[in-house]
Amino acid sequence: MVVGKTVRRLQSALAYGVLFALATFCAFPLLWMVDTALKPLQEIQSLHPTLLIVHPSFDSFRRVLFQTDFPIYFRNSVIVAAGSTILTLLIAIFAAYVLSRFARSTLSRTLTSALLLSQMIPGVLLLVPLYLLMRTLGLLSSYGGLIIVYCTFTVPLCVFMLKGFFDAIPGEIEQAAEMDGCSRVGFVYRILLPLSAPGVLAAGAFAFINAWNEFMFAYVFINDEAHRTLTPGIMMFRSAHVTDWGGLMAASVLAVVPVAACFLYLQRFLIDGLTSGAVKG
Amino acid sequence: MKSLSGMAAQSGMGAARKAPARAAASRVDRARRVALLFTAPAFAFFILLSVYPLLRVVWQSLRYANLVNPSVSGFAGLDNFRTIFEDDDFFPALGHTALWTGLSVIGEYCLGLVSALALNAKIRGRGLFRAIIITPWVIPIVVAGMNWSWILTPEYGVLNLWLVRLGVIHEPIAWLGRPDTALLSVTLVNIWRSFPFYTISLLAALQAVPSDLHEAAALDGAGSWARFRFVTLPHLRTVSLTLIVMHVVWTAVNFDFIWVMTQGGPLNSSETLPIMIYRYAMQSFDVGAACALASMMMGFMATVFFVQYYANQRLGAARTS
Repeated sequence: MVVGKTVRRLQSALAYGVLFALATFCAFPLLWMVDTALKPLQEIQSLHPTLLIVHPSFDSFRRVLFQTDFPIYFRNSVIVAAGSTILTLLIAIFAAYVLSRFARSTLSRTLTSALLLSQMIPGVLLLVPLYLLMRTLGLLSSYGGLIIVYCTFTVPLCVFMLKGFFDAIPGEIEQAAEMDGCSRVGFVYRILLPLSAPGVLAAGAFAFINAWNEFMFAYVFINDEAHRTLTPGIMMFRSAHVTDWGGLMAASVLAVVPVAACFLYLQRFLIDGLTSGAVKG
Repeated sequence: MKSLSGMAAQSGMGAARKAPARAAASRVDRARRVALLFTAPAFAFFILLSVYPLLRVVWQSLRYANLVNPSVSGFAGLDNFRTIFEDDDFFPALGHTALWTGLSVIGEYCLGLVSALALNAKIRGRGLFRAIIITPWVIPIVVAGMNWSWILTPEYGVLNLWLVRLGVIHEPIAWLGRPDTALLSVTLVNIWRSFPFYTISLLAALQAVPSDLHEAAALDGAGSWARFRFVTLPHLRTVSLTLIVMHVVWTAVNFDFIWVMTQGGPLNSSETLPIMIYRYAMQSFDVGAACALASMMMGFMATVFFVQYYANQRLGAARTS
């Protein structure tokens, strides 16, 4: 770019300043969460709090893991998130295959509008009818109810993401496979999935994050401790133990770990996904 | 479908020269059947989880119904809508929703634009900064709410202690416990968690601005500000409009942040319309009123998207002509 040296220096100094400020704003609450989780009680209740920990301790983690229902919540979240990821992928892979191969057919266009619509409608507006539906089906306070409901937002997300990956696989491969007598289901399982495995994994990771983070349906649909998932669990944890901030932060840290793991893998796909419109904010 | 029938014709020519038309037709038919079969589960889920609930919301808004008492039933006409308009909490909640949505979207857009511009500068360590700035967007809303509740708490909360020590305030403030600060505090947390989405979208749009446009403008004597105003901003118009419209709708209907941090309190000072829907349904068990409010919000949403769709079309038309 054609600019003077001083102007350019000034600009990058400004950019650094802005980025430092924003990065601090973004990272501080998370740093403070980890920090608090590792502090002993008397340092949490200090009138001169610092990021420095004098006597780091795992007491808060121990308390959360062995004296509360946290492990049950965690297990339930794993079951629900994994269950809805698998169900979503089963539905989305075949739908995305059709969208990718018969892109201009009426069927594909109808499906695209349907998926966009279900992605747009906010869950809270459908809360009551979905609650009534789950009650009729006998799926309240069960894993199944949540697994099914989470498909409303995970399926569109995964279909659009997978379509992008499937588009990259040349049609000639499919024609060759067909010449060799491969059926379409066979093609999807033997060729399409292995070739786009990183993409399928990314879509799965994204579905998992979204299912793991969901709060409202989990809060409303689940009414017994045995099936409660982590997000409402953490919130109830707070009302039950008002002052135990150390424990609450330890629980939060543990709740973020699976998400962070998925996100690390997902990050390189995320930017493309965002720009192609597969992501709901 | 075009390539399919082409392929079908090819194989028809080789194998069944006598009846190529029939072979081609059956092959296309088979492809169509497979396509239908493959998309059937997605359509089934769409009908079960979107279409049916959508119709049911509208239907229930015109009927009396109670969540726990099945004997309440019958046609209600517009009674449920009257219940809402006569509710003393409705107009305050509408105001809170407007304030919450307006401030959130403005704050998110400003931070998103500033951070995207800074990340677009050619400096070292961009990748690291970008990774740090995205993180709030990935963590669960509940965790974000708990983190900030801890930071904002009056007893031992780090923000209060630091502000007191800096002399900004005289004594700790219960940010989430006072009617005048509760909604604003939750708005801040929403901005914190949601602005990275703007950052990434705007950054992608910025990187799509051709650099020779900037060079040409600079050669013509345009300064930094002029180049930003007349080269960069016009390129961000479409993505900005889309981002803002989407987030106006999604913020207005957001339940999680407010419920997790204040549950609409204190004294309903942070109660928004989604919180009201929840209260009608799950606390007063009034299914009719909850659905009436939900269908009104649905109407509002549909209008906004409709207007945006036409605005986008006109923008596109203006650009090509």
